[in-house]
Amino acid sequence: MDEKKAAQLKKLETQSAELMTQIRNENDIEKKKKLIVQREKVERKAVAIRNNRKISRETKKDLIAYSFIAPNFIGFAVFTLIPIVFAFALAFLEWDGNNAIEFVGVENFAKLADDTFFLAALKNTLVYVLGTVPLTMIASLALAIVLNQKVKFRGLFRTVAFFPYVASLVAITAVWKMIFHPSKGPINAFLYYTMGMSNEELPQWFSGSLVMLTLILFSVWKYMGYYMVIYLAGLQGISAELYEAGGLDGANTWQKFKYITWPQLRSTTFFVVVMLTINCFKVYDIAVMLAGSGDGKLSTSAMVLVYYIYEKAFRTWELGYSSAIAMVLFVLVLVITLIQFGYEKKLSE
Amino acid sequence: MKRKALSMLLAATMVAGMFAGCGAKEETAAPAADAAVEEEAPAAEEEAPAAEEEEAPAEEEAEAVTLKWAIWDEGTTPYWSALKEGYEAANPGVTIEMVDLGSTDYMTVLATELSGSGTDFDVVTIKDVPGYATLVSKGTLEPLDSYIDAAGIDLSVYGGVDSQITVDGSLYELPFRNDFWVVFYNKDLFDAKGIEYPTNDMTFEEYDALAREVASADFGSQVYGTHYHTWRSAVQLFGVLDGQHSILDGNYDCFKPYYEMVLGQEDDGICRKYADLSAEGLHYSAAFSSGDVAMMNMGSWYIPTMISSLASGEYDSSLCGNWGIVKYPHADGVEAGSTLGTITGLAVTSATEKKDAAFDFVNWVSGVEGAKVMANTGNFPAIATAEITEIIAGMEGFPTDEASKEALTVSNLYLEVPYGDKVSEINSVLDTYHASIMNREMTIDEGIAAMNDEVAKVLGQ
Repeated sequence: MDEKKAAQLKKLETQSAELMTQIRNENDIEKKKKLIVQREKVERKAVAIRNNRKISRETKKDLIAYSFIAPNFIGFAVFTLIPIVFAFALAFLEWDGNNAIEFVGVENFAKLADDTFFLAALKNTLVYVLGTVPLTMIASLALAIVLNQKVKFRGLFRTVAFFPYVASLVAITAVWKMIFHPSKGPINAFLYYTMGMSNEELPQWFSGSLVMLTLILFSVWKYMGYYMVIYLAGLQGISAELYEAGGLDGANTWQKFKYITWPQLRSTTFFVVVMLTINCFKVYDIAVMLAGSGDGKLSTSAMVLVYYIYEKAFRTWELGYSSAIAMVLFVLVLVITLIQFGYEKKLSE
Repeated sequence: MKRKALSMLLAATMVAGMFAGCGAKEETAAPAADAAVEEEAPAAEEEAPAAEEEEAPAEEEAEAVTLKWAIWDEGTTPYWSALKEGYEAANPGVTIEMVDLGSTDYMTVLATELSGSGTDFDVVTIKDVPGYATLVSKGTLEPLDSYIDAAGIDLSVYGGVDSQITVDGSLYELPFRNDFWVVFYNKDLFDAKGIEYPTNDMTFEEYDALAREVASADFGSQVYGTHYHTWRSAVQLFGVLDGQHSILDGNYDCFKPYYEMVLGQEDDGICRKYADLSAEGLHYSAAFSSGDVAMMNMGSWYIPTMISSLASGEYDSSLCGNWGIVKYPHADGVEAGSTLGTITGLAVTSATEKKDAAFDFVNWVSGVEGAKVMANTGNFPAIATAEITEIIAGMEGFPTDEASKEALTVSNLYLEVPYGDKVSEINSVLDTYHASIMNREMTIDEGIAAMNDEVAKVLGQ
């Protein structure tokens, strides 16, 4: 053992002894625990030096674990993490992908307030989220409760409810476009022939103020099957004894739902709402497929944030500006999710 | 301790990733391109040996050069391979590799391909002017002026179109294809009603009256007087034909009478509704070929499609076989034959190392040789000469009446989208509000006011 190591060892030993006395004098349990952990680390280092090991056993363990994480993490870092970090930076820059990058400070954000299309996209996205999230939640919960009972052909109905979620978006939007076709669709035919609406009164499902309603209805129909499955799993986790006890106490169906099912499903509902909110803010494909014109362009009545981000980034190559919009979307989703988490925490306490 | 290690690891991966990111770009683009090229390689190889054996000894200085060329829809567009074969035959030693990027979002994909530090494309096709403006401002295209001077090219053969795509005094593309809008009409529908055919000299009032006369609302044999495709060019650009307005002006009041005409026709059932067309995604070719549309304004690119689809039996000739074309209608006091044009051009990338070879190809395709190849496949080359018009009018299947042949001569050609600094943003604003007006989300006045306001913002930036 050379001198350097001896000196190091000596230092570690004194450190350890000091920590030991500190531990003895410490009264606060939490702090004591921390000190003990600290001392253990010092001890381990000392052991490593005494045994002439270059890498401590702990580090070795860590490295092995990291090596297992690495393949996935490197992919994530290169294709997701770096672009995300870069997007944060881009929000304060001006870049078209080729010419020199220019720093513009918060100019990109300042421009947003005066951008008609951004404001329209923001409004439409919020309307879409506010409409889709509660409706999907209610629809999927109702479906789950009904299909959790022993009805005939339960399996078939569950499959039917789940089908829109797995069906190809292109195919089902084509069907919806036929059903809601402004002059030839069965819905408007019904309104025309049986409700006596005139040609001018017939609703234009894919334009104007109604297009967001169509998008919301479509999304509820498409997503409810998936969240129904999650609710079904939640329902099956509720102990039958609770209902039995409730029954003995004379609770009716509504009371059973209110005092047993709903509170027991709280964590499931939390998951459903958080996932739905995040998914709904990301809406793009449904809007383009359902409301887009022949060349996939959206007008102000149906423009959503993700579409506008794409438009600005890859059609007009304002990468900085589009990143700024992406940041707005990110902060929006983050804040809402944090509020949801905070609320959930408050409830569970 | 652990946290520190993790952050170090993170930092390390980021640095590594950055290098990987920079280096990988060229590599990742290559395999996809190679795959696309491989498909057509056998065809190219078959001819290459023969050509080389015969001519290679004669021109020993010609080195083997491979040029990579970005195109779209190779399978359905016959002129790509005709141009490639024509050039290769004339220039032994040069191989043209075509890479098909698809037509739907061609310019977006191309702009992405050319972003960043490098690309392996030598020659790219420019599909539209907004995309051209984007590529020029990104600095991905080579200015061609010095090459044009060196080759002694006379730009006057392009009939002034070149001035509408000049960027700060420089040209970055040479047009090889030039389509102009005409009115297609179905003679049978006019005959059935005993009405005179449309003529090469119609005012908009006459055109509107004719459309209303030929239309019929009878159930089962409904006839639409006109058909307007969902593109904004099909409706609002009637407004720029007087030569006094341009979409770059920032004032769009000139669109108003034409929106009124078209929406009025919609209301009276003279043409299909925009909202319906957009919901069902009806293609203009399906509309015209189904035989219930009397007149349709469309680009001359539809002529070869009509000819070949009727010949192959894809279109029912009893429905639309008896067709003709006439010149665009015109406003009062404006010369007949003023119409909209769309050009397709070729450009040299600024990243290529084979600029001279690439320009030689561009020059050939956009020159007289290329023009003949284009005309023989039924397309309109950018060089408009009487000979070329003869070739197209003489094609098997082209309408035999004199008026249709005469309709091929254009007096004033205005590009649908001429070059302007902010043309890409302007285009997108006009597209948006065109949809709003046609969907009746806004009145005509509101929509035009919104166009004026939003474009003013774009121009004021």
